[in-house]
Amino acid sequence: MIQHFPVAAVMLLFLAAFLVEIFGSKNAVVRNVIALEAATISAVLIFALVKPILIDGQVISYWMGNWAPVSGYAIGIGYEIDALNLFFALLVCATFWLSCVYSIAYMKNDRHLGHYYTLFLMLSGSVLGLVLTGDVFNMFVMIEIMTFASVALTAFRNDSDFALEAGFKYLVIGSIGSSMTLAGVALLYGQCHTLNMAQISAILAGRMTPTSIMALGLIIAGFGVKSYIVPFHTPAADAYTTAPTSISMVFSGMVNKAGVYGMIRMVYVVFRAMDKSSVQMLLVLFGAATMFIGVTMALTQHDFKRLLAFHSISQIGYVITAIGLGSALGLTGGLFHAMNHTLFKGLLFLTAGAVLYATGTTNLDKVGGLSKKMPVTAACFLVGAFSISGLPPFNGFASKWMVYQALYTRAMESGNFVYALVTVVALIVSVMTLASFIKVTQSAFFGQCPAELKDTKEVPFSMQLPMIIMAVLCVAAGIFYKAVDKFLLNPAVNASFNVTKYVDSMIGEGTAAAAGLENILVNPVEFSFWNPLVWLVLFVIVFAAIALVILYGNFARGKVLEPDTANDAKYATFFSGEQEEFSQVAGSDLFWGFKKDWKGYYKVLVGLHNGNVNDYSTMAIIAAAVIVLCMFIFMR
Amino acid sequence: MFNILWSLFYVLIFPGALFTVAVGLLLAGIDRKVVARMQHRIGPPIRQPLYDFLKLIGKETIIPKAANKLAFLGAPFVGFVSLALIMLFIPIFGFTAFSTSADMIVILYLITIPGVALIVGGSSSGSPYAGIGISREMVTMMAYELPFVLVLLTVAKKAGGVSLAFSMDAIANWQAANGSMLFQWAMIPAAIAMLLVIPAEVGTQPFDVAEAETEICEGPLVEYSGAPLGLFKLNSAMKMFVMSALFVSLFLGGIRTGFILIDAIIFVVLCIIVTVLCMSTIHAISARLKIEHLFKFYWTFVAGLAMASLILVWCGL
Repeated sequence: MIQHFPVAAVMLLFLAAFLVEIFGSKNAVVRNVIALEAATISAVLIFALVKPILIDGQVISYWMGNWAPVSGYAIGIGYEIDALNLFFALLVCATFWLSCVYSIAYMKNDRHLGHYYTLFLMLSGSVLGLVLTGDVFNMFVMIEIMTFASVALTAFRNDSDFALEAGFKYLVIGSIGSSMTLAGVALLYGQCHTLNMAQISAILAGRMTPTSIMALGLIIAGFGVKSYIVPFHTPAADAYTTAPTSISMVFSGMVNKAGVYGMIRMVYVVFRAMDKSSVQMLLVLFGAATMFIGVTMALTQHDFKRLLAFHSISQIGYVITAIGLGSALGLTGGLFHAMNHTLFKGLLFLTAGAVLYATGTTNLDKVGGLSKKMPVTAACFLVGAFSISGLPPFNGFASKWMVYQALYTRAMESGNFVYALVTVVALIVSVMTLASFIKVTQSAFFGQCPAELKDTKEVPFSMQLPMIIMAVLCVAAGIFYKAVDKFLLNPAVNASFNVTKYVDSMIGEGTAAAAGLENILVNPVEFSFWNPLVWLVLFVIVFAAIALVILYGNFARGKVLEPDTANDAKYATFFSGEQEEFSQVAGSDLFWGFKKDWKGYYKVLVGLHNGNVNDYSTMAIIAAAVIVLCMFIFMR
Repeated sequence: MFNILWSLFYVLIFPGALFTVAVGLLLAGIDRKVVARMQHRIGPPIRQPLYDFLKLIGKETIIPKAANKLAFLGAPFVGFVSLALIMLFIPIFGFTAFSTSADMIVILYLITIPGVALIVGGSSSGSPYAGIGISREMVTMMAYELPFVLVLLTVAKKAGGVSLAFSMDAIANWQAANGSMLFQWAMIPAAIAMLLVIPAEVGTQPFDVAEAETEICEGPLVEYSGAPLGLFKLNSAMKMFVMSALFVSLFLGGIRTGFILIDAIIFVVLCIIVTVLCMSTIHAISARLKIEHLFKFYWTFVAGLAMASLILVWCGL
């Protein structure tokens, strides 16, 4: 019974995609019911797998049409779910469910909503299928569906030229990525005569040939495009900005993660190349470049969503760096950060969407003082901002701590100075992330409210709910990181290092042993930086502080004076005689000294992001060539 | 039960809130006195910061019309809580409040929280002066973060070789066995870099661009009055102690008499020396920098010193 759940979850989403178009293109209620129901049921189906897979440690395999292997060769499409897939599948389900709830109110003023939900469900189904499948060609098909659904959704609000341009960029760069994956898959098939991942893993075990090295390089480049690592990141900024915000959240929450998943699955399980120092160095360097370029670009943005888009790129850099280390701590940190990125970046995109919904703009120079008008959104935004900046006790802190620890431990063990430099970059990027979110805080939520936004209202409850859920999850994942590690991360890490079970349950008992695959023992990650006692202490102190607030509010000799009359100059903000409307400190005005000192750097960087698709394609192809070349030259 | 009482004692009295406040106010008083004497003034009494704080607590608190009340009043408390927490993670020679491997990364991030609290509080007041101030505060933060991180990595590498890279206990133990970090010649550039990071982190004279009274009316604090203002002033006094304590435990550790009281007194004396050296002296002899010069100074000169040390340590010196 339970082995049918994953494939049912994927098919349900595809089926609902067509049903929405057939029955729901006119009627909003039917449309919403179909979409929400499909999303809910398929999420429930996936969540039902938590107990057998994550807790009992089973691996579920499923042959489509019951095409079981013939004389040891897999011929049909197989779905295989171990703890690693399931971890990503849970992220995917959580993302599309929350996005679906958010969409109902957020999108209600758009036209052609039938198309919207069709594409949305196609995208959800394809990403879920990509994550769950055990077949490389099926994975490629899902990538294609994902790319084209994403392109259409990017250009969904096609009354603006900008959306069409973004869609076009996405189409070109995305196709380059898909083609590279396809080429890699073709080489693999030529080499191994099978498309089943488990079987390829068994065949390639300890026998890397030039063909498979080429295939690995192409596949890393292909998934690099899907997870938007630098320099493949160029279409991401536009796509995230112009897509409806519920879709931006889906892009950063699951489309990105699909690329990360593919990378982990291919490098760790299929090729088992994570102990090659060349692959490690390659991924770590690409990750470092991604986080640094992403965050420095984000610092100069003055559009809320565009800023978040560049942060999305930057945070994926952390994930790629961490998984590239190939150590248990690194992979744990990488997976944890991927999960946290889904949570806090989804949350931040939703708050950006709420600002857009309430004010009609995401330009940080035009909004301000929204925290008094939209208190829930502002509070959720602050939780997200502190999480992404890695302040304790939020979730970003726990995962970044693991990433730093893994990086510097590697640096000290190997004596390689490059890893130390990457650690420095990672730590600096974190403070720059904080800086750019301070910019949003100052210019959107605090500061003076412009006259035209005086009657802004908080968004409806169905939009608040996903934000609140994600904010609570951000805090919970930061505080109960040990439980997260025990139930989600550690099984996934073990699944990626120990492939014998994966191979055996798919192809048949004894295959792994015959191929010479061995389990690598993964010691559980040791945490000692933040113990429950200290947490208790934190709580006591916070409590004491709250008690103090009450005390000084009521009993201190001085009184707390609040503005009761509208025009008392005592409560006015000090402008030193300047008119209020000329005294705004807008988003673009911040960080002046920094921008001046970095002028030369930004000149180069902005020159590279020139918006010309030809240049972007050239960059992508050169980067892919570099990856493949590095594979050949340094692979030992 | 007994354990909880001890934890409460650690958190609220020593080395937590009360101790940090007391030593912080002492350091702030000494700093003002020393600066005054260097400038041929008499200077205020050493208790003056305490008097200032008590006076501000008694004044009325005005919340401006444009302010977000919760953030405006809550920010100073968040800063206070995290500053009191940091002292639990910094070993006072052999003594740490909790026998966990207290961690540099935790300290690094906890130290940014008071800065963030100042930024959020200032930003929530809705004043354009605060806007400029928080922008400068943030740039200052980015400026000193690079050398700060490099110094921490250098010390971790020097003391390293254990399973977890950033343990403060490992550093304390290494110093107990091999003598203070400061007497390793390869560490001297890092120590100088750290001495220059401290005044920027605390925001004293040449690096106080964020609060520049004479040009932007104390920046983030411009709309603050009464008890919250007093608390922010207290926070900056506590920061003096926390940062100099961090310097002492990173570079001057290794003294263990076995009596916690004597240890603590030596620790405070060393903190006073560090404060006078890196805050009062520089304060007395220099004028405020521009923000772009500050950034350049930290990312070239100070980061260069720290980097030199890191490379030396990496080569096994």
